[in-house]
Amino acid sequence: MKDRSFKGLPLFLVMALVFGVFFLRMPGQFLSAANLESMASQLPEFGFLALAMMFAMITGGIDLSIVAVANLTGVAAAMVLTAPALSAALPLGWLIALAVAVVILLAALCGLVNGLLITRVRVPPILATLGTGWLFLGLAIIVTKGHSVSGLPEAFAYVGNGTCLGLPVSFLFFLVVAGLSALLLNRTRMGFRMYRVGGNPRVSRFAGIDNGRVILGTYMLASVLAGLASLIMISRANSMRAGYGDAYLLQAILVVVLGGVDPAGGKGRISGLLMAIVTLQASQSGLNILSFSPFFKKFIWGLALLAVMVMNHLVAKRASAHTQRKGALS
Amino acid sequence: MNFRKLLKRNEFYIFILVLLFSAVVTGRNPVFLSPGNLLSLLKTSSGSAILAVGVLMVLVSGGFDVSSTAIAICAQYITVTFMIAHGLDHIGVAFGIAILVGTLLGSVNAVFVAFFRLPTLIVTLGTASLFHGALLEFLGTKAVNLGELPSCFKHFGGATGSASGPLTFFAVLCAVVAVTWFILGHTLTGRGIYAIGGDIEAARNSGFRVKRIQFFLYCYVGLLAGIAGVLHLCLIRYSNPNYLVGTEMGIIAAVVLGGARITGGTGTLTGTMLGMALIVIVQKNLVLLGLSSYWEQFFIGAVLTLGVALTYGDLGSLFRRRRSGGLA
Repeated sequence: MKDRSFKGLPLFLVMALVFGVFFLRMPGQFLSAANLESMASQLPEFGFLALAMMFAMITGGIDLSIVAVANLTGVAAAMVLTAPALSAALPLGWLIALAVAVVILLAALCGLVNGLLITRVRVPPILATLGTGWLFLGLAIIVTKGHSVSGLPEAFAYVGNGTCLGLPVSFLFFLVVAGLSALLLNRTRMGFRMYRVGGNPRVSRFAGIDNGRVILGTYMLASVLAGLASLIMISRANSMRAGYGDAYLLQAILVVVLGGVDPAGGKGRISGLLMAIVTLQASQSGLNILSFSPFFKKFIWGLALLAVMVMNHLVAKRASAHTQRKGALS
Repeated sequence: MNFRKLLKRNEFYIFILVLLFSAVVTGRNPVFLSPGNLLSLLKTSSGSAILAVGVLMVLVSGGFDVSSTAIAICAQYITVTFMIAHGLDHIGVAFGIAILVGTLLGSVNAVFVAFFRLPTLIVTLGTASLFHGALLEFLGTKAVNLGELPSCFKHFGGATGSASGPLTFFAVLCAVVAVTWFILGHTLTGRGIYAIGGDIEAARNSGFRVKRIQFFLYCYVGLLAGIAGVLHLCLIRYSNPNYLVGTEMGIIAAVVLGGARITGGTGTLTGTMLGMALIVIVQKNLVLLGLSSYWEQFFIGAVLTLGVALTYGDLGSLFRRRRSGGLA
């Protein structure tokens, strides 16, 4: 059964600590409107990828192909947006709608390939998505011949760079999708089943859940979320290059695990993930202002990932010892 | 071994693919089969092949190691800077230091996996980031060029172009493969590694000392990475702490292609070497087939995806009506 008690407290304290330390070190700079806005506009791009990774992990799997899917769909969308024939034939609004539709359909197709490999051919998710990740990125490289696609219509940049009610549009977009994801996980049958399949596939099978269908849906959803990340990427950079953002894969896994998602499946909440994303973004931008090298950040993130995993392990061990003492099995 | 049994093994198909690909490449450019070219292929791929042996062992035990390249580059750069600082110049010393560093870093992986029982992919992602970040932050980012390099690295394997050079590299690889083959196939620890990969609880219940075996495994894999780091340095005669990291997925792909299963505790050294051969030949010769180099990623991805599908599937199930039952 899903745990409803508030487990986010340690993470909340870490987040508060990170903000507190940076605020005290540079009171004027860190919480300035400009820095907050730049943090909010940098965050969605990989926030979507982290959401995608979270869904895969909740069902007990992992999706190593998300960045490749984002690359492939981003390249496709950029090509649609820059195709002279299309921009001549369609008004701008329709052109953008077409690009978004291409992204979502193509992403869903990628997810379908992953899902079928995992559920029907029974390849473990880690290997299936390793292979398809190469495949999708390879496709993106072939269609672009390794060059970047640039020169997107200016109106499209609004998604990545515009503001609405004082907040970056991409950030609002991310908040809406994160909210919908929370609804899906907590309030729908599909979300409930994802937790059950991840928690114990055998039990969920005996409870009459069609595990295969749930997993297929999960990987399609993960790919579509990666596709949304690609929309932010191309509108922020006004171009797309195959191979963009390969460092996001590690960061996505890091943030999902930091956010309290159990890589073995069955546990994890959107609130935890959001706090982890904000913490990572804040520490990144704080370390940037203090001009620490990117290598130091790499070092700190590796350390953070290991520390959180060990902490979770020790907490879980204590909890299980506690349960055993009470003799309660349920 | 009879023929029908052969047909069921991945190694067989990879072997056919390697032959086929080599035949086509030779047809386009006969230079491919010249001893010089084959020897240079052998030389350039020996280091990666040693890393692949380590990745294979982890995969056989049901794990997934993405930190081997980070350990290799750490061992290489620490070794070379230490030797320059202390005026040391002997290849034996180099291997000794690199093996020590590699084993130490491997033991960090080992602690997290064996004692905290954390998922191996996440542990190795974390340690790779930790090791490589620490190397660049605390030891520096400056590359060691040919002029500063102790001469033992330049002399290892003889002058460029001679046959003895590649054969020395190959001899190191052969030694590694032989020792690993003995450990995996002829010691209790080796059987334990396969058993853990098959079912860790069952291995524990049947009396294997799982912690001890895992600890040994990750230290040994670190040791191999140390050796690979020195070979890589001798190959390119230039030590850049940013090299190697980022090639780990290609090495994992080679091992997976070779038929190692992450779930079943199976996987052979023959398969891994064949998988490595296929990837190296494809990477070096795709252009000869009239395909530009940007087909490389796609080609390997396609072979890899098909490879895992053949290893685990049941490709036919895609076209049949779904079976009832089953867990996934």
